[in-house]
Amino acid sequence: MAEPPLGGLSLPREIALFGIYMPTLTLLFLLCLAVGWAIDRLMAWSGFYQHVWHPILLRVSLFTCFYGTLALYIYR
Amino acid sequence: MTSLSAAPLAPFQRALREWAQSEGVIWIFIFKSLLSIFIALWLAYRLELPQPGTVLVTVFIVMQRQNGEVLAKSFYRIIGTLLGLTVMVALIALFNQERVLFLLCLAIWVGLCTAGAARYRDFRGYACVLAGYTAVMIGLPASLHPEAAFMQALWRVVEITVGILCTGLVSGLILPQTSSATLRSTSCNRFRDFARFARAGLAGRLEPSEVELNHARFAAQAVSLENLRNASAFEDPRIRVRSGRFARMNNEFMVLSTRYHAFYQLLQRLQSSAAGREVFEVLQPCLADISSVLAPLSERLLMDQDAAAQAERLAACKHALMPQIREGRQQLSIKAIGEELMLDYNTAAELLFRFVDDLHNYCLTQASLVQHQHEREQWKFSFTPRANGMAAAVAGIRCAVLVLGLSAFWIATAWPSGPTFVLTVGLVSALTSISSNPGRLAGQLLGGATLSGLIGFFLYFWVYPLLDGFPLLYCSIAPVLALGTFWVARPQTAGYGVGLLVWFCILSLPNNLTLYDPARFLNNFLAAILSIGIAALASTFILPPSQPWLWRRLEQDLRMRVVFAVSGKLRGMIAGFESGTRDLLNQGYALAAGRPDVQKRLMRWMFSVLEIGHAVIELRQEQARLPKEPWYAEDTPWQQSIRLLGRALVRLFIQPDAENQQRALSAVEHAIAAVRETPEPRPPQFDSSPLRRMLSYLHFIRSSLLDPHSPLVDGRAAIGRPVLAS
Repeated sequence: MAEPPLGGLSLPREIALFGIYMPTLTLLFLLCLAVGWAIDRLMAWSGFYQHVWHPILLRVSLFTCFYGTLALYIYR
Repeated sequence: MTSLSAAPLAPFQRALREWAQSEGVIWIFIFKSLLSIFIALWLAYRLELPQPGTVLVTVFIVMQRQNGEVLAKSFYRIIGTLLGLTVMVALIALFNQERVLFLLCLAIWVGLCTAGAARYRDFRGYACVLAGYTAVMIGLPASLHPEAAFMQALWRVVEITVGILCTGLVSGLILPQTSSATLRSTSCNRFRDFARFARAGLAGRLEPSEVELNHARFAAQAVSLENLRNASAFEDPRIRVRSGRFARMNNEFMVLSTRYHAFYQLLQRLQSSAAGREVFEVLQPCLADISSVLAPLSERLLMDQDAAAQAERLAACKHALMPQIREGRQQLSIKAIGEELMLDYNTAAELLFRFVDDLHNYCLTQASLVQHQHEREQWKFSFTPRANGMAAAVAGIRCAVLVLGLSAFWIATAWPSGPTFVLTVGLVSALTSISSNPGRLAGQLLGGATLSGLIGFFLYFWVYPLLDGFPLLYCSIAPVLALGTFWVARPQTAGYGVGLLVWFCILSLPNNLTLYDPARFLNNFLAAILSIGIAALASTFILPPSQPWLWRRLEQDLRMRVVFAVSGKLRGMIAGFESGTRDLLNQGYALAAGRPDVQKRLMRWMFSVLEIGHAVIELRQEQARLPKEPWYAEDTPWQQSIRLLGRALVRLFIQPDAENQQRALSAVEHAIAAVRETPEPRPPQFDSSPLRRMLSYLHFIRSSLLDPHSPLVDGRAAIGRPVLAS
């Protein structure tokens, strides 16, 4: 049993999916894409993007922050 | 800034700005391509991907000048790749010991994908292209080593994803060239050009060739704006929330140009007779009014902020038009002109009024773009592209036969480069299936690929052995890649560029473990060249799309639009009718490039179809809106006569000959008489009497059938003779 960091739940670095080992990061990437898409839709709907200089840059940065946080959570 | 110091600089600055807008864009594109290649290739080597070439091929295929298109293409590329992957893994699992069956299924799948690409021709078509292309890319190498097939397939997906991510990020983040800007400027320019064109037409200063040219351009723009709108929705969330309004604007523009054309035709017909000219004179003050309303629209681009003010002007003009029309009618009744001419006047007045109404609607929609959310966004009807199923089937079968034939050759000779041989033919068929002249494109690809092989051979065996490290490698291949990208950026040479880049990456890019084997290199090079050559020959000689058989089919498809207008479902019909008809014309126009006579003929069919089809649809909409009153009942003689007219029109457009023309003409005359004889207890004005409006649509159909310039009249002279084959 690996001891969980911060006393919370820890994710394994690899996940077996239908008998194939996949890095958890890959799954997280897909998850982040889905969440990022949802946030994007929400911001577009609320009109937030009208105050944004470079929407694509904002999207990419948000995604990077989000994914980076989750990746750090696994690998620390 | 003082004017003194600025004065000598001004021409220089202007030249610089012009350069930035024309050539500068191309250089930015080249720079961005090279940068994405740099990142992608570095990553490919760093991650030790087995085939760095696949990464770069992906970069080149996805790389476009505008980032909306890059994102849209990337999205569909991923879908296509995953689809191709799934099918291939299933096929490998089923037939891993049986190469013949495997290749047979592969050929069928690639054929299906190519047919799908030829059917859709937009981004969905692109997904089809890639589903087929990924299938051969994964399937062929894997068929030799079925035990490693699954891992290989996954590697391909990783490589493709790396390529897409690099391209998408570079294209979106660094010096972005947005499709949304193009979308806006194209639609503004189009409207201004239309206003100019309409004014010139009202003043009688248009040559027939000019009319055709402009309508062909408007049709092409309608199709391209639809694609741009789809791409921009991927790129810019501000466009995405306005997407429905852009679609609506496009549709409103199509309706507007159809209406204008109908009105213009009617004016031309009026002016051809002395009595008609009298009616035309009475209409003159209305025309002058419209022309003055159009003046500001034709002089500068209509911006979203000004659109509301223009819409108000148009609304005022609409209100002023009513009394003018009534006054004109009184003048004519004092002159006691015939019933026929009075109908002409009424029809023209109705069309004119509707034209201003359409203009008004268009401006309202454009004005609504200022706001973030708007009720005009609720637009359910979509642009429906129409394609010829036969053409798509031919493209698919041709591709499947090629893959089969080449596979047979591979099995029979046990050529070590057989996989490259078959893979290339699948790739070329997929890449050329969207083009209107696949033979020419395949020829260009052949030229580019040959050049890439020569350069590649030199680099591979004389330069690469001397190099040490990634920067030097990149420096040695960058000139070739820059040349290829430069060619890709220009439409005339795009084929050479794609050929050079794609086959350079497939054949001459060192793998992580480079093998210096000249025999293998030459074998692969030979296989690629032969295969492209065979694909080029096949698409030139086996039922190529730019030939009379397809023009004739498209012409028939255009005519069938009237059948659709008569018998299709009424809901969303205007949008489907307008967009589908224009899409067909646009294809025909591109396929018949270099044959102005064919283009002219297709154009005339489109005019005829639009005039009659549009009138029929309005007639049907009017019928659907009728209140429940005994004189509008289903079994009244006028309703029956209109049903008869519908049948006669269907027959006429399925087979345009003298007999059917006569039948349609008598049906419409019968319908006009029946409508006229129906007693209707309402004031005989357009806004109050549905029958009055119907009468004007019927009259318009009649005048369109009688038009001496209509292709229906040619049909009368040349029964059963395939005119296009001349």
